[in-house]
Amino acid sequence: MRSDYRLGIDAGGTFTDFVLADRTGQVRLFKALSTPQDPTQAIRNGLALISEELGVPAERVVSNCDLCINGTTVGLNALITHKGAKTGLICTAGHEDSLEIRLGHKEDGFRYDADYPPATMLVPRYLRRGVRERVLSDGSVREPLNEADVRAACELFRAEGVETVAISFVWSVLHPEHERRAGEILREMLPGVVLTLGSELYPQVREYTRTSTAVVNAYLAPIMKRYVEAVDSYFRGLGARQPVRYFQSNGGLAVGQAMTDRSVYAINSGPASAPAAGQYVCEPFGYRNVITLDMGGTSFDITLTRDGSTNINKNIDFLRYRIGVPMIQVETLGAGGGSIGWIDDMGLLQVGPQSAGSDPGPACYGQGGKLPTVSDANLVLGYLNADGLVGGRLPLDAAKAHQAIKSNLADPLGMSVERAAYGMITIVNANMVNGIRRVTVERGYDPRDFVLVGAGGATAAHITALAAAMGIDTIVLPKLASGLCAFGQISSDVKYNYMATAPLRLDNDAAYARIDELFTQIEAEGIAHLKGDGFKAGHIVTKRSLDMRYVGQVHECTVEIGTFRVDARSIGKVRDAFHARHRELYTYAEPASTVEVVNIESTLYGLVDKPARMSIGKGLSPRRALKGHREAVFSADGRRIRTPIYDGTPLGADAVIRGPAVIEEVTTTIVIEPGWTARLDASGSYLITRDRKGAR
Amino acid sequence: MARTQSRKTVEVDPITLSVVRGILETTQREMTLSLEKTARSSVFNLAHDYSTALFNHRPEMILQGQDIPIHLGSLIPAMKVVAKYFEGDIHEGDLIIHNDPAWGGSHAIDTCFYKPVFWKGKLKYWTVCKGHLTDVGGPVPAGYNPNAREIYAECLRIPPVKVWDRGSPRKDVLNFILTNMRARRDQEGDFNALIGACQVGERALLAMLEKYGEVQVDACIDRLLDMAERQMRSLIASVPDGTYEGAAILEDAGHGYGDIEIRAKVTIAGDSCHIAISSPPQIPYFINSYEGNSHSGVYLGLMMFAQLPPPYNEGLYRCVSVDFGPKGTICNAAEPAPHMNCTTTPMETLTDAVRLAFEKAVPSKVSASWGHANGLNIAGWDKRHDEEYVTMVLATIISGAGATPSQDGWHACGPECCFGALTSGDVELLEYSYPIIIHRYSLMTDSGGAGKFRGGSGTAWEVEPLNADMTFITFGEGRRIPAVGAAGAVSTLIDTKVGRLELVEGDHAETFRENIIKVIRPGNRITNMNPGGGGYGNPMDRAVEKVVWDVKNNLVSIDGAREDYGVIITDPATLHVDIKATEELRARRRAALAAN
Repeated sequence: MRSDYRLGIDAGGTFTDFVLADRTGQVRLFKALSTPQDPTQAIRNGLALISEELGVPAERVVSNCDLCINGTTVGLNALITHKGAKTGLICTAGHEDSLEIRLGHKEDGFRYDADYPPATMLVPRYLRRGVRERVLSDGSVREPLNEADVRAACELFRAEGVETVAISFVWSVLHPEHERRAGEILREMLPGVVLTLGSELYPQVREYTRTSTAVVNAYLAPIMKRYVEAVDSYFRGLGARQPVRYFQSNGGLAVGQAMTDRSVYAINSGPASAPAAGQYVCEPFGYRNVITLDMGGTSFDITLTRDGSTNINKNIDFLRYRIGVPMIQVETLGAGGGSIGWIDDMGLLQVGPQSAGSDPGPACYGQGGKLPTVSDANLVLGYLNADGLVGGRLPLDAAKAHQAIKSNLADPLGMSVERAAYGMITIVNANMVNGIRRVTVERGYDPRDFVLVGAGGATAAHITALAAAMGIDTIVLPKLASGLCAFGQISSDVKYNYMATAPLRLDNDAAYARIDELFTQIEAEGIAHLKGDGFKAGHIVTKRSLDMRYVGQVHECTVEIGTFRVDARSIGKVRDAFHARHRELYTYAEPASTVEVVNIESTLYGLVDKPARMSIGKGLSPRRALKGHREAVFSADGRRIRTPIYDGTPLGADAVIRGPAVIEEVTTTIVIEPGWTARLDASGSYLITRDRKGAR
Repeated sequence: MARTQSRKTVEVDPITLSVVRGILETTQREMTLSLEKTARSSVFNLAHDYSTALFNHRPEMILQGQDIPIHLGSLIPAMKVVAKYFEGDIHEGDLIIHNDPAWGGSHAIDTCFYKPVFWKGKLKYWTVCKGHLTDVGGPVPAGYNPNAREIYAECLRIPPVKVWDRGSPRKDVLNFILTNMRARRDQEGDFNALIGACQVGERALLAMLEKYGEVQVDACIDRLLDMAERQMRSLIASVPDGTYEGAAILEDAGHGYGDIEIRAKVTIAGDSCHIAISSPPQIPYFINSYEGNSHSGVYLGLMMFAQLPPPYNEGLYRCVSVDFGPKGTICNAAEPAPHMNCTTTPMETLTDAVRLAFEKAVPSKVSASWGHANGLNIAGWDKRHDEEYVTMVLATIISGAGATPSQDGWHACGPECCFGALTSGDVELLEYSYPIIIHRYSLMTDSGGAGKFRGGSGTAWEVEPLNADMTFITFGEGRRIPAVGAAGAVSTLIDTKVGRLELVEGDHAETFRENIIKVIRPGNRITNMNPGGGGYGNPMDRAVEKVVWDVKNNLVSIDGAREDYGVIITDPATLHVDIKATEELRARRRAALAAN
């Protein structure tokens, strides 16, 4: 049966974005207010908007979709507000407190802060029950599982009304039988309780990480389960042909059951779709190294993809909880259009991380905000149109913006309002550049080898300046920038991570054979899972990586390898890949030292057909799309330059616009600084490149 | 402290100033990350017992990391000693190693690399990385020797020595140093990690000069130093002028010279502060502190009062002068005083004395003391790989944090000298790296100091050797005197709040409160316990529900609720509180406390 649409629904903090792509390459963007109290409400509201616009009932839209895809913040919100389910933990006796000791560390930045509170415990101490059992570091059983201890813990959980339980034992990763048996006892005694086993969810070395990951999963599982059931049944009711696919923090899609079993994969789902979107919009240009920047009202998210593979974080603190499972590295800064400019105790101009949010919002919104924000600076500098954002629905008050910057910043610093505004932009850009360093230089990459892709409504005003600061020459800016994450979700594949652990020194044939065997084993599991989701063998792709280190090191670096057979002949390739990566990251390698493997991972993709590409036809020339001129500032001295303003909507393919210029799209405003030139590509993105020296 | 006049002729662009500050912070962060990820010893890579810093050419510290507080104060004098020693002989491509306390270092196991950074042939910066190695030679593994009567019996002493000379590594010198150390592979790997991190810093600093230009960057850095100075001066100016004294007792942990009193006299005059330390003559035991290390102790006491957010630089200390007392005393040791334990002991007592003086000056601001470090080093033969192992176990020094005027102390966040910068390491990674079984790593009931805000809980670490004899060495103190509370906090149960070591060999059990070297066999166990933090405010003012919640979570026992908080729980199952009896008991206790 022929389908007309694909629907993506991305819930954000303020808005839920809906993208509806059709077979002709037309992509429509809708926005409905998010409803955190009842997340399915926003979905109903959005579908009502779509059905109104298309003039057909919601059932017709949904049943005409090949896939409906949802990025959700339900798990994230439960974790932020500590409103997960009542959770119990069964662990090895003597290790009940690893969750609360948190490796004995207080986060950097708060060293001498007397008011910085400890992290809220997702499981209080009295619900963390130790049971007698012990496996040693070689996988042998030192003490068998004491089943009476497990039963006693279950009794307590029953009495306390615990809804969900994590079981995580020391070295269970080398001998999962104790956890499995404890799980059987729990299922038998507390059949209604949701169960998470550490060794199944995250089979990797590091007890604290595994236990914490299992606890976060357990804490969110009942919440995700209720949500997924509600959404699935709603879409079934509308006649959806396929189960809804949910977007995961690993950058791929999953069916509802996988989201329930592995809820921890749901926590940073929205921004994790940026890399897929970035790659999709860059494909027509042939760019494979992509940094995506997504600036909204309060935050700035950065991701990086090199040669088709995206930076992944494992074993990190997320919202102060240690999470082991792979998540797309999304570097988030408190830098958005609402970020406030202020003068610190030392008299230095700072911008963010505090934000005026949407209430009261920037001073220029005229809703009572008095503090100068990045949006106010953009307006003062002539980048934004005072007639308003969102196609004129939100007019801006230039006088209020001017006053906020003058009284809070320009006067105290003794400079003109233009200079102060330009200073705010310079500083917020510098903060972003330092954030970009975290995904590039810290990962051993040179930013100059990448192109920037702008996403989010506010990025386009900053993007040429950011590129210049990083030494980057090429920018791809899609017309759909403000809904790009939702678009990323509908152009993503199903993705599951399978892991195993094998601390092995790479100096003997038995080790190579074991690695090969483990890869084969976990991949068989993954392929079975994807086939269960309906994928045929030809649509399943496998990628492999190994976490490796020199013997004696404790932290590994992740190295991607091909899907070749691991043996004495191929092992040289594996070792060389590690030495090279170590040098990239840390300036040196030790080719004579023994290398060991710690963790093994296979990522399995179920390939999903991509939506049709947007296609821009012949439209207006820039001359005819010119709306007028504004005086805009492009230099630290605050000097104003007469700058042409273009209407982006009617522009035709291959239109070329030289900076300085401003292009106004419906949901974003693109600032082209002097020295840059934009060309609208037929695929619906502006390609913005730096002019070669002497070309102008 | 030496004060250098900043040049003020170049006009600083305020925007570039903010940008330069961000780059300096990012640079230091990248150095730290590189060090953590590449290091071999668990003391670095699991425990974060390292620090990185940036200096300008003068050399003043222009960016102090948020790493271990105890390292960073001491890097300031150490850097100056090193630069002076090689004055006129510093070249592009040089790299200097140094660990010796008599040459400005802290304790000799903290080994430091200094890389001069040149720009267009001119010395501009130093990137500096310092870390706690697992061994530094000498008669006892891991460097801590409670039996040493002189520094010569502790370690290999390394005064400033070039290990790279104009870009070429001096293999003979490196080999000489490494030959003197146990577990050479680990030490060599850690040298590489430290050097790599210095290079990471150099790369970023040069890029900054390239982009913003030497003149502007120099001016910005001078301005940042001046601004930090102003910030600290205005803070000091807010303290009433006067002289405030604090004194703290350092218990005798086995040397036989009795308890030692360390005193701090803080004089505030306008916007400057003078801190005078007095301590008794040095003793032939490993707790003497040379001047470099004592700097850190004083600065930490000052920061417990100042509580400034990062970033930090040397400008903060321009208005602070310190007199460490006569040479040859505990806090201003002279050769040949043994010293290896000094970064915790007597440092933490010195810090307490300074913070107690500030508590008198500003009683509403200063937090309680944190638990002091008493920990373990372990060493032996790892039969699994047929190789030697030696390490400090940082998990054994994680104590409770002091309560603050606004909240309970963090559990398991100390010791005081590290202020939460350490990490204890994952139990599986420790068992993978060393042939040991960790039976327990937990919080301890009744260990947090009583107060309106409770001190954080200390930790217990119980270990058994896997399959071969293991030597262990204990160090530190805090096994008799608990962490000092603030604003009237007092505990009644003392023994649960202090540290100790319990040894179980078959039916024989023994508790140790002094520093010892012993060997245990597989099958036997030791448990090292670390103290909780001090409380803040009168414990009789702690809300009854909070006490009951602590009892429910077994952080406070039913006895502890009664003894420390005057809360009488009549039913251990329901935790029912006899309100009337509680109010009476609390009233009596309040009166008794007031009478004291």
